[in-house]
Amino acid sequence: MSSCFLDEETFCQCCQLLLQHSHSLCDGWSWEQVKGSEEGYLRKTALGTGRTRCNLDQQGNSSDQHQERTFSLSFHNDDEDDDGAVCCIQEESSSSSVVQYEYHILYSCSYQTPVLYFRASTLEGRSLCLEEVWDSVHPNYRQRLQHRPWDTITQQEHPLLGQSFFVLHPCRTEEFMMPVLKAALDEHRQVNYIVTWLSVVGPVVGLDVPLSYCTQVPEPPHTPSSSPQPPSSSPQPPSSSPQPPSSSPQPPSSSPQPPALGTKPG
Amino acid sequence: MQRFPHNECVSESSALGLLRMSDKAESPTETQKDEPSTPQQPTEDSGMADDKKKIDVLLKAVGDTPIMKTKKWSVEKGRTVQSLSQFISRFLKMEANEQLFIYVNQSFSPSPDQEVGVLFQCFGSDGKLVLHYCKSQAWG
Repeated sequence: MSSCFLDEETFCQCCQLLLQHSHSLCDGWSWEQVKGSEEGYLRKTALGTGRTRCNLDQQGNSSDQHQERTFSLSFHNDDEDDDGAVCCIQEESSSSSVVQYEYHILYSCSYQTPVLYFRASTLEGRSLCLEEVWDSVHPNYRQRLQHRPWDTITQQEHPLLGQSFFVLHPCRTEEFMMPVLKAALDEHRQVNYIVTWLSVVGPVVGLDVPLSYCTQVPEPPHTPSSSPQPPSSSPQPPSSSPQPPSSSPQPPSSSPQPPALGTKPG
Repeated sequence: MQRFPHNECVSESSALGLLRMSDKAESPTETQKDEPSTPQQPTEDSGMADDKKKIDVLLKAVGDTPIMKTKKWSVEKGRTVQSLSQFISRFLKMEANEQLFIYVNQSFSPSPDQEVGVLFQCFGSDGKLVLHYCKSQAWG
């Protein structure tokens, strides 16, 4: 197991621990099991704010108050544009509004990290488009996102549900997890990977992670296959046995996983 | 703690930028001697700073991230993590494709909207809040 990556069992353990704390806070997280599958994910819905497009008249003016004119990439054809450009920068008018979010935390076997999927819709039930989601990213991260939006948040098919979701790209998870995991390794302590990861990615897309998660949620039981390794060492775990002692034999991460979390006492 | 009048604080402009949330805060051009035991504590009004409204923040770089010459800052309790993050980003002259990550206890990242005073209450020790920061090109 490489240094900054997460095996699926540890993912499940971390999620379970997060879930217990969520229950104590009534924070709304739930574990969703996929029918006929061993796989599951954490789910939560929440109201937040976002920037949504309001209706424009022919002059491009909006009667909505508190509007802010933003420049954004627009990927639809503009019939009034002689160039017939497919991709153009247009001045859009958007306003801050209440948005219904639905967040899913899944495990990615290919990246060996958690991945945040989410949906966003107005209170009237209209799904936000990708550009609106980009506009809704927390200002702290917006500059970086605007630099390369397609590398940050895109729309993909939900791996378990087959529906269109927005997803926060996981390819650089290691970079922001590394400082924490390395420090934990150096200090001979563990962290709850999901809590740490969520504390970074959640605020990007409007998901609040109360501070108590960072102090109250325990770490998963220490197992050789889940302990972080120094980057310079062999990728193999130090133990001769790759099996975590507390569970049934660990199949490769792409295979069905041990029994569902729901069977454990709350 | 020692206090330095404005004209003796070589990082005055950047320090005031933090204190006043100025968008024009610039990094210091002078080389400043780093004295960990003697924190720079510039004041908005000479000698009038209210210690109860400010907390001490110690910034530590992670990995290859540039180390700030001034590590210890006196920050108003109501300042957000985002505000501090913006300040550090400007201080380090970060580019648009770079993202700054801040960590508490080297175990989690505080929300950008979190007030540093609250973090200090929960995680401060020895009269200061230690924050680690890391520059990254994360998100692709």
